[in-house]
Amino acid sequence: MLTFKIAFRNIFRQKRRTFLTILTMFGGFTLAAISIGWADGTYNNIINIFTRNQLGHIQIHHKGYLDRPTLYKTITDYEALGATIENIKNVEAWTPRIFSAGLVSVGDKTAGVRIIGIDPVRENNTTLFNPKIIDGKPFSDTAAFEAILGKGLAKILKAKVGDKAVIVSQGADGSIANDRYTIVGLIDCGDEISNQTSFYLHIDDASELLVLSGRIHEMVIVVDHLDHVAEATEEIQKSIDNPELDVAPWQVVAKSFYRAMQADKKGSWISLFVIILIVAVGVLNTVLMTVLERTREYGVLRAIGTGPGQIFRLVIYEVAIMAVISVIVGTALSLLSLHLLSIYGIPFPDNGFEYGGVVFTHGYAEINLISILAPTIAVVLSAMLVSIFPAVRAARIAPARAMRMH
Amino acid sequence: MNDEVNQEVIVARGVKRTYSDNGVPVEAVRGIDLIITRGEFTAIVGPSGSGKTTFLNLISGLDPVSEGEVRLNGKKLSAMSGRELSDFRRDNIGFIFQAYNLIPVLTVEENIEYIMLLQGLSRQERHQRVEKILAEVKLEGYADRLPNKLSGGQRQRVAVARAMVSHPSIILADEPTANLDSKTGAELLDMMRNLNQTTGMTFVFSTHDEMIMERAERLIVLKDGLISSDETRQ
Ligand SMILES: Nc1ncnc2c1ncn2[C@@H]1O[C@H](COP(=O)(O)OP(=O)(O)OP(=O)(O)O)[C@@H](O)[C@H]1O
Ligand SMILES: [Mg+2]
Repeated sequence: MLTFKIAFRNIFRQKRRTFLTILTMFGGFTLAAISIGWADGTYNNIINIFTRNQLGHIQIHHKGYLDRPTLYKTITDYEALGATIENIKNVEAWTPRIFSAGLVSVGDKTAGVRIIGIDPVRENNTTLFNPKIIDGKPFSDTAAFEAILGKGLAKILKAKVGDKAVIVSQGADGSIANDRYTIVGLIDCGDEISNQTSFYLHIDDASELLVLSGRIHEMVIVVDHLDHVAEATEEIQKSIDNPELDVAPWQVVAKSFYRAMQADKKGSWISLFVIILIVAVGVLNTVLMTVLERTREYGVLRAIGTGPGQIFRLVIYEVAIMAVISVIVGTALSLLSLHLLSIYGIPFPDNGFEYGGVVFTHGYAEINLISILAPTIAVVLSAMLVSIFPAVRAARIAPARAMRMH
Repeated sequence: MNDEVNQEVIVARGVKRTYSDNGVPVEAVRGIDLIITRGEFTAIVGPSGSGKTTFLNLISGLDPVSEGEVRLNGKKLSAMSGRELSDFRRDNIGFIFQAYNLIPVLTVEENIEYIMLLQGLSRQERHQRVEKILAEVKLEGYADRLPNKLSGGQRQRVAVARAMVSHPSIILADEPTANLDSKTGAELLDMMRNLNQTTGMTFVFSTHDEMIMERAERLIVLKDGLISSDETRQ
């Protein structure tokens, strides 16, 4: 308590130096907090938009489907599976999908397409399907021989809403599958390839066309927050407990996208390291100067019976108090800045960029625990670490010699 | 232990201290034998560089001897660890320094309390002792001042109070009056002498000042690290 009192009052002796030291720590803290919060926010935002567009957070397939998709690697009784998944913590929505390839003709135009059978209500709940429709209307809730085309495909086929489309494909039983659908809408999937190949059907229509009898190829799941993906993946795996099924998070399903995100994220941790270095050098400089200046005083304290441990603590406390002040002020300013940045964002240079068909114009910060915690640990730890050496030196001072100094 | 030994507060035998000044050995104290008994009021004098400060540091354990041995209240200093030494100093020796050396961020009262806090005395006990000693050094009403708001003489009186308040058996003062004008210095010495007589504490101080020397009961003269004369006056 006594040591703390002296340490606290010592802070006010060299006000300028104390101010500069706190400024260094506070500045480092705030920069680190904002850069982490901003990077996390921006990347999470990109990932969110990307996963919410089509990918989902977690996907379930028949084993091996992702590596070599075929019509026959299916999931049976998806309704029961969905009912199980729905009850898992943090799961927000799920939707089934059927995929196959076929030839579509509208009038005298023909094109190869990717048939995608979706459950209109669930798909919309999971990946916001309906807002992407740029012409026409969404699917009716029940199957009604309706089709929705990627806008690029419509262009190739010179098709418009209201036209009839004839599809030829192969059923799971080996039969020739063909049928006629009314084009009810056009959709902008986000990227060009999808737009040129996507041919959406109601899942029941697709199932009948391909003779799948209710089996599906893909189950897409979204959870409430990106941070919960790993945990939810594990939970799903555990509760469905089926070796025939693969449960994979988006990081596995979209490997290249994930890698691109990871590489960029490293930048913010490098900046954290640089900041630690600056803080460490600044604090070390201050503590060394202080200890040198007060050598005589430490000598007196030692002479009149203060133990070496108390001198050590005296030096450490002084730095610790400054660090705590820096962290408190830094936290306040960082939270405020991150809050504002999460609302207004910062525009990306060159009008933003496109990834996977989605255009990103602004980076938005995110307030998360790590953006405050990491700089706190970094600042406090580096300040404490660099103080140890000067503090030991102060504690070891030989009183007789120290008191000869002026 | 018989009574006579018990009365020997400071015992120095063949004490030497050699420093190394850039590799060149400097013999600051070259072999001192000395016994100081309880209640003495002793001055150590001698020209600059004669080894007064060094000797005081040796007998208080602030500096280790190169040769010989020092016993304080019967305890051999060289046998103690750093931590034991600092506890021993805290409980047995009161220091007064030339440059006052008060803790600048603590008030008069807090400075005086410091050692008692280290000793873990109760708040009530501390308060009582501070009040009493402040009266004795004539600083009533100054308890809440910071040292830099005091005159040199007042500061040195705080230092005396700090040194004495924990009831150590020995008070060591290295040139306590060197920074004071001679009148203030003489007053301080009179006050110390007074306290020496009322409390029976042993005082050892070094000085350059003739007027101060006259107030000593025993006068030890150092020359080149050796005692050149040692006389006790009645
Ligand atoms: N740490 C040290 N390193 C080297 N030499 C030292 C050291 N301490 C003291 N000395 C030398 O030892 C000698 C005695 O010094 P000391 O300070 O004890 O003398 P003093 O009688 O107190 O002098 P003054 O009256 O000037 O205070 C001097 O020659 C001094 O230079
Ligand atoms: Mg001296």
